[in-house]
Formats: sequence, C-alpha cells, structure tokens
Amino acid sequence: MFPAGANSAMLRKLTPYLFVAPLMIFIAVFTYIPILTSLNLSVREWNFLSSNMPFVGLRNYEQLLLSRDFWNSLRVTTLFAVFSVPLRLGAALVIANYLVRETLSSRLLRGALFLPSVTSTVSIAVVFSWVFSTDYGMMNALLEPFGLGRPQWLQDPHLALWVLIFVNTWKQIGYDIVIYIAGLQAIPRELYDAASVDGGRRWHVFRRVTLPLVMPTTYFLLIISVIEAFQVFTIVNVMTHGGPAGATDMLVNLLYEIGFVLFDIGRGSALAVILFVLLVALAIVKSRIIGSKVHYEA
Amino acid sequence: MKPENRILAVLSLLVGLLFLSPVLYSIWMSFQTADAFYAGEVAFTLDNYGRAIGQFNFARYLANSLIVSGLVTVLGITLATLAAFAFARFRFPASDLLFGATVATLMIPSHISLIPNYLTLAKAGLLDTYAGLILPAISNGFAAFFLRQYIRGIPKALDEAAYMDGATPLQVLWRIIVPLSRPAISSMALYIFITEWNNYIWPLVAVGRQDLYTLQIGLARLYRVNPGEGLIDWPLVMAASTITILPVLIGFLLVERHLVRGITMGAIK
Repeated sequence: MFPAGANSAMLRKLTPYLFVAPLMIFIAVFTYIPILTSLNLSVREWNFLSSNMPFVGLRNYEQLLLSRDFWNSLRVTTLFAVFSVPLRLGAALVIANYLVRETLSSRLLRGALFLPSVTSTVSIAVVFSWVFSTDYGMMNALLEPFGLGRPQWLQDPHLALWVLIFVNTWKQIGYDIVIYIAGLQAIPRELYDAASVDGGRRWHVFRRVTLPLVMPTTYFLLIISVIEAFQVFTIVNVMTHGGPAGATDMLVNLLYEIGFVLFDIGRGSALAVILFVLLVALAIVKSRIIGSKVHYEA
Repeated sequence: MKPENRILAVLSLLVGLLFLSPVLYSIWMSFQTADAFYAGEVAFTLDNYGRAIGQFNFARYLANSLIVSGLVTVLGITLATLAAFAFARFRFPASDLLFGATVATLMIPSHISLIPNYLTLAKAGLLDTYAGLILPAISNGFAAFFLRQYIRGIPKALDEAAYMDGATPLQVLWRIIVPLSRPAISSMALYIFITEWNNYIWPLVAVGRQDLYTLQIGLARLYRVNPGEGLIDWPLVMAASTITILPVLIGFLLVERHLVRGITMGAIK
C-alpha cells in the first residue's frame, strides 16, 4: 500500500490531514475566525476609515438596545416569523397530504410548487414588485373589478410586511411540501389501513394518524423556517429597503444598513453577535429535535 | 392511463400554471413593447432583450454569474470531496474534532461573517475581484457532511483491493470513490451551483465595480435605479429577470427529480 521506510510512515500519518486541510483552512478563515473578529469589533468604535479603533466596552450593545431601530426590527422580524411560519407549514401539510401519491398529476403539481424555491430570490422580488405595484400591477388589476380599490401595497406601512410574508410563503412552500411528502411517505401504510378499518373518516385519520406521525417533520420545518425568517434579507432589500417608515426593516436589513450604509462597524458587529446568539440557540434546539426524530422512528 | 387520471393531470397542470402565473406573465411581458404594456395592448418584440444584453450589460452579468457559480461549484465540490473521503475512511487524531467543526458550520448563520469577511478581503486587496466573490463561498460544510455519509456506504473492501495493487489514497479516491459517488456528487454540485447563482448579499457588499456585477446585483440595480423616468420600464426589467431565472429554470426542468431527491436528503442536515 505504501513503500516501506520511515518517510512513508510519516507520509501515511499525514495523509488524512492533507485531505482535510484545504476545507479546514477555508472554514477557519471564512467561518470561525470571523466569529471572533465580530466579537472583537463589537466592543470597538470604528468606521472602516479611521486608523485607530478604540475599545469602548459594551457601549455598542447599549446603544443598540436603547435604539428604537433595534426594537422595531426585532418586532417586525418576530411578526414576520409568527405569521409566515404557521401559514407555510399549515398550507404545506394540507397540500402534501393531497400530493403524497406517486401519480403523474401529483408529480406535475409538486414540480410547479417546488420551482420557486430554487429560483432567484431577486427575480421573484422584482416580479412581485410588479404584481403588487399600484397602477400596473397584477394584484390590483384582479381586485379592482370587485370594487376593492387600489391599495398601495408596498407604500402602505400596514400592508408592506404582509406582502413580504406572502412572497416568502410563495417562494418557500414548495420546499416545505417536498419535505412533508417525504415525512408522509415514511408512515407505514398499515396504520392507515387500520384506521380505515376502524371506520375512521378522512379528518379522523388525518388527526389521529397523520398529524402525530409527521410531528418530527413539523418540528424540523418549524425551526428551520424560524431560522430562515430571522435571516430574510433579499426580498426586503429589493422590494422595500426596509420601508415604508421601517415597517419591513427586518434584522439582517438593519445589520446591512448599519454596517454597509452607515459604516458603523462596531454597532453593526454588536447586532451581528446578538443575532448570532439567537440563531445558534435555535439551531441547537433543532439538532436536539433531529436526535429525537431518529428515536421516534426506531 | 385511465380517463379520470388524465383529467386530474390536466387539472394539476392548470393549478400549477396558476401558481406560477406571476413569473409566467413576467416572461410574456418581457416580449412586449413598453408602449403596448402600458396601453394594455399586445405587441411582440425582442427589443427588451436586445437592450438588456447590450445597453444594460446583462451579457457581462450573465458571464460573471456563470464564472463565479461555476468556479464556486468546482472548487467547493473538490474541497468537500477530499475532506469527506478522509472523514469517511481514516481514523486520525482530531478527526472527530475536525468533523464536528465541519458539521457545526451548518448552525452558524452567514451574516456573522459578513463584516469580517469584507475586512479580510479588503486587507488582501481582493474586493472587486472574482476571487473576492468566490473564496468565501467555497467551504461547504454541508456538502462535506453529505458526501462523507455517502462514501461510508461504499464497501471498504473495494479500497483495500486497490491498496493491495499499490494504489495511493488519491488514486483510490479518484478511481473508486468518485465514480461510485457520482449521484451524491452531482446532487451536491447542483445544490452549490444554485445557492451560489442566487447569492445576493455577499456580491452586494463585495463588489462595487459594475463590470463585476452578477446577474442578481445587475437585476436589483436595474429595477432599483430605473432608467425610465417616472414610469418603470417593466418589460425591460422582466427581460432582465427572465435572463436571470432562465439558466436555473432549464437546469431544473432537466434534472427535477434528481434535485428534489437531493433536497429531501438534505433535510437531515
């Protein structure tokens, strides 16, 4: 396998490290060291240009937690998560339940529903900017004949966030459906047969068999869609820039504005650290749940 | 096929088309003149594509997106496969630690590295270069994890036979593991390519020079900084949007089942 000798023994020990080294170097430089850099920058004051970056303790965190922008973003992001996640999962489960069988029609529909989740988010944001534009948009063209007026969807602070929730749901639901279908197909058929023999009706079977048995999938999707909701950026940046009047100023958008528009690196990093702690906590909950899912299926 | 199945298939197709109607209409609109669109008439033209590609530089953006996504995919798959092979086949001191660090990247949200990576690349003089767009994207912990699981399913006896014949580990990887892992590798390549193709926030901060814009940045700018005064030139914007969607759309139609399978498997991440 290897030529004999001290050198080759050395080489043999080194081999696996040589294989993993390229990946490890890139992970270290672009993923792990940045966490430390962010922590360091979050306790300093710096604007990219000045030559010194004085240590300011927790002042950036304090400023952030005392600012209206931060609490507004947290509120907007939480609202987004609270309304978009149940909408996505509820609709996805119902649809998946109809599309679970491997027939031509269900495959066609699955394909159509799945397509947006691999499509460019910027394109989708641009297309829906048109759909919801006031004067020439598709939505108002459909609503007006019914006497529903012509809402200024993206300029109205009471409507803009709902538009973003709608667009995000439209984009992501196909993914949720595909995952639910995989979960549903894993349920043993005998359970359904048994429930039907008991004279269970459709709703009864759904509630007693389907719902409890796809619970692990639901937990999984719940956590990843909450994590996703806290990272929404592209549709905000393209469709509303956080407006009108901060109504759609979600957390990552605020981070972008503080860091790359105002160039306040210290405060931007403090926000990044807060968001990081929040999301890693959620991710840990997720990995616990996946652990329990394995147990559940055993 | 039974007649009721045929009806169901047609019905499903209609529902699917209705769901996709905003995008389908945007493609239709991209072939209309702006005057006709605003007058609510129909007038077919290719002029929007001509202007998007020529005057508004979308040929360049398309080339940039292909270069960046292509290189990220090739380099990302290479790094992931090399590491996955070592994690699957060798026990070495710190292997658990390093594998753990690889898997843990899945939990780390990318925004935490936004400002630091910007600074790293600024210091290296790589902002506004292809390298600056590519390098932060090529370490993919998920691909490494996924491929490692797959490689573990390949019988080790195959490796051992090759080692008996005097093969080196690199030869075993290249001649045995890679050919046998082709389905997993192509799923991951597709996944990396699509993710990178649609990447927005990183090119947004890393690139200021217009000739390095990817399609996503070019499209967002075209819509945001609209050339038409007052009225947005929607047909032009939709032509640019269609150019941005098309490569992934075509790829999707070619490999849909493959992709869905990859993503379903990805759900375990």
